[in-house]
Amino acid sequence: MTRRASILGGAAAIATTFVVFVIPFIFIVLMAFKDRQQSALRDFSWPTGFHLWENVAEVVKTRNWMMITAFINSTIITVVSVTLLVIFAAMVGYVLARRKTRWNGLIEFLILAGLMVPPAVVPTIWLLQGLKLFGTLHGMILIEVAYNLPFSIILYRAFVATIPRDLDEAAIIDGARPLDVFFRIVLPLLWPVTVTNIVVQSVGIFNDFTNPLYYLPGNANATVQLTLYNFQSQFSTAYNLLFTNILLITIPPLLVFLFFNRQIVAGMTAGAVKG
Amino acid sequence: MAGLELKQLLKSYGNVEVIKGIDLTIEHGEFVVFVGPSGCGKSTLLRMIAGLEDITGGELVIGDRVVNAVEPRDRGIAMVFQSYALYPHMTVYDNVGFGLKLARTPKDVRDQKIREAARILQMEHLLDRKPSQLSGGQRQRVAIGRAIVRKPEVFLFDEPLSNLDAALRVDMRMEISRLHNDLGATMIYVTHDQVEAMTLADKIVVLDGGVVQQVGAPIELYQRPANLFVAGFIGSPKMNFVEAGVDKVVGDSVTVSGPDVAGVPVAIPAGRLRPGDRLTLGVRPHDLVVAPSGTIVGRVGLVERLGNETIVNLELPSGASWLAVLEGDQILRRGDSLALDVDPGKALLFDKSGQAVN
Amino acid sequence: MSVSVSAAPAVSPAPPAPRLTRRSPYPGWFFTPAAIVYSVLFLAPTFASLYFSLTRWTLFDSEFIGFENFAQFFREPFLIKGLINTVIYAVVTSGLKVVLGLLLAVMLTSQIVARGYLRSVVFFPVLVSTVGVGITFTVLMHPTQGMINETLAMFGIAGPGWLTDPNLALYSVALVDVWKGVGLATVIYIAGLVVIPRDYYEAARIDGATPWQNFWYVTLPLCRPATSTVITLSFIGGLRTFDLIWAMTKGGPGFASDTIASVIYKQYQAGFYGLSTAGNVVLFILIALLVVPLTMILNRKQGHE
Repeated sequence: MTRRASILGGAAAIATTFVVFVIPFIFIVLMAFKDRQQSALRDFSWPTGFHLWENVAEVVKTRNWMMITAFINSTIITVVSVTLLVIFAAMVGYVLARRKTRWNGLIEFLILAGLMVPPAVVPTIWLLQGLKLFGTLHGMILIEVAYNLPFSIILYRAFVATIPRDLDEAAIIDGARPLDVFFRIVLPLLWPVTVTNIVVQSVGIFNDFTNPLYYLPGNANATVQLTLYNFQSQFSTAYNLLFTNILLITIPPLLVFLFFNRQIVAGMTAGAVKG
Repeated sequence: MAGLELKQLLKSYGNVEVIKGIDLTIEHGEFVVFVGPSGCGKSTLLRMIAGLEDITGGELVIGDRVVNAVEPRDRGIAMVFQSYALYPHMTVYDNVGFGLKLARTPKDVRDQKIREAARILQMEHLLDRKPSQLSGGQRQRVAIGRAIVRKPEVFLFDEPLSNLDAALRVDMRMEISRLHNDLGATMIYVTHDQVEAMTLADKIVVLDGGVVQQVGAPIELYQRPANLFVAGFIGSPKMNFVEAGVDKVVGDSVTVSGPDVAGVPVAIPAGRLRPGDRLTLGVRPHDLVVAPSGTIVGRVGLVERLGNETIVNLELPSGASWLAVLEGDQILRRGDSLALDVDPGKALLFDKSGQAVN
Repeated sequence: MSVSVSAAPAVSPAPPAPRLTRRSPYPGWFFTPAAIVYSVLFLAPTFASLYFSLTRWTLFDSEFIGFENFAQFFREPFLIKGLINTVIYAVVTSGLKVVLGLLLAVMLTSQIVARGYLRSVVFFPVLVSTVGVGITFTVLMHPTQGMINETLAMFGIAGPGWLTDPNLALYSVALVDVWKGVGLATVIYIAGLVVIPRDYYEAARIDGATPWQNFWYVTLPLCRPATSTVITLSFIGGLRTFDLIWAMTKGGPGFASDTIASVIYKQYQAGFYGLSTAGNVVLFILIALLVVPLTMILNRKQGHE
């Protein structure tokens, strides 16, 4: 009885989620296989011919190989800013969890503020111009670091709190200096939360559209999210190329999803239990 | 050669004093046990010696140096933690060798020392394992190995056996005792377990409320506790106490009486007490014997017959409850009246401030 | 015996220690790199915005005009519209994410078949580019050639102009936001649900609770930490949302789906830097006014249990 109900319920759930969540992705894939004429109909139909490779080639070549530049830029921004985030946040999370001082309250307030307060866009641009960082990858990287630090620090601090302080003390007695304690004892033990951090922040930064839009103008600096605007115009949109583009930029998150699903979920749900 | 000297050692967190001026001398090679109830400051004191807690006031001397401001690594100490604190990401070999590696000991010397320590502790077969693959007793061995390998002058143990089950605890206790004999190093050992304290120590330091209550050899503490706290803390089952006053003084002996006792003789050096003094009488359960004309009379409560001895719960007239451990198998009925006696040399008297009189 | 028994501290004064404290093993300078980046690129502009929002500003020089920008913000109907839209958007998206997320999570923690598939399918959109999702749904929601309305037409229903009807555009975008974000709410709820001890359900079953009573009296109160996380996260996200709106409607038709974030961008593009920054400050104040009491209410209720 309950088994029947569970199978029926499951079937209904599978059907509903298929329509709501899967069909849009199938639509994207189908569109990427079509030629320009068929894609202009924007319907849910089987492609009349196999045009994926042509579409990919054309998307990549468009606007003087902008897609390649964009992938390189996005990769640099993602890799460098995530590296800095991990190092900086681990250091802060570690000391914040271990050392109780009267500054802790203020630091925690600033971290929470960073999660809530929207960045002041124009003053940031003004400041970046003053620092000669506006429109540069360096500036973009530092912005991503600054905006994503609070979340990474919270993840690290929560994890450091689960590592017994006895380990630090045993190491100190063994003759470890402060840097030894951090790099040889604590950092290796932070590996699981580091993986979580890398995965969650990579996806977020790779998918970031708003910040590059403001702080990284110009075609030479395009990131992958901005390439989507190459094939849209008010009069004629090349839908086959547009969806091929969407498909291409969906591949990196898909790979991450396939290999690191568990870590992503762990990172994104951190705090759900504790509140 | 490294003895220790604690001079008026003080520790406070803000306004809260947890260690209130401790003076103590520990000779080289001594096995000293800090014992006391939880929160008495024994672990804090050990951590101050280790250098894990700052010293608020006073002076700590190890060997012939004042080490108040010396980093733990330079104090010539090693420590074994209650939680073992093994590095989870390292093998046993690396755990034991970590301190040597930090000290940049050459690889071959390091290897030799690690294997030597493993041999002493009979854990050569464990060297390639990770801590998560070890049993509690094995982890304890590794933790001790990590301490040995550094050849410290002073070993510090912070309740090292409290996470082990009873049988293993006895084994490890003997192991530590053997280690002390073999190495001849100074050892300071913190525990709340008085059996460990009694069996291991050359010298026991009883702490309560951040103050040393008494220092002495185990048997001395048992037979001649300095005050009510030590009398109640050392010995199991606990010492019985009752209010009493001095009846008369005759030479080296006094007799005391109270609501529950009538004319108990106690051996006391002459001149310490006068008739009328108010006191607390203390008698260990094991020192009570059945005597038809006994001076301590009560009603039999719960009786536990263990064969070799009989534990009796005695209800005294005032409602107080005493425990007596009687030799052999005694057949007693609940509710019966029972008279007991105590050897005048074993009864203890404490004055109003709780200090021992005899 | 080498014993010296404790004496009262007053008897012998403590000898002065040469240096009382050692250095902390947790170096304070570990804060420095993060602090520099964060202060320079986040805190400093935030404080600067308080000043520049009171100016007419060209990035090269600024003229102090007091609260004129704010006055304008609350005078222009399209700016007020943006303010109201922002709140509606945040309430609708976070409300739907709580309800749907909890339902999905309850379903996915039950004995349902194909749990792995369902979980993946619901969660995957969280990881996909927001702009990509926005563009896809813009195509799907086209009033005449979009797949959604074409499908509805097959059943004889005339679908609405999802993104072209001024009364509907904002809600359509909000729906897509829920589509993309409900997976996150679901996994947060799943994490909150799996830690509820089975004992409670067994006790409730012995007391004769119906499944509905189970949900209402056990599940719902005990997953409140998850609820407060979902509400707080999605509410703040909703108030700050920009990329999805920009990808789908650019605030249109007219100003029908403008939010404060899209207004900030439009004013910035138009060169009204002071006004744009004032928008930033308004958004900041709005978040503070709504989120701080919200989290306080959520946390207080939690304390009552």
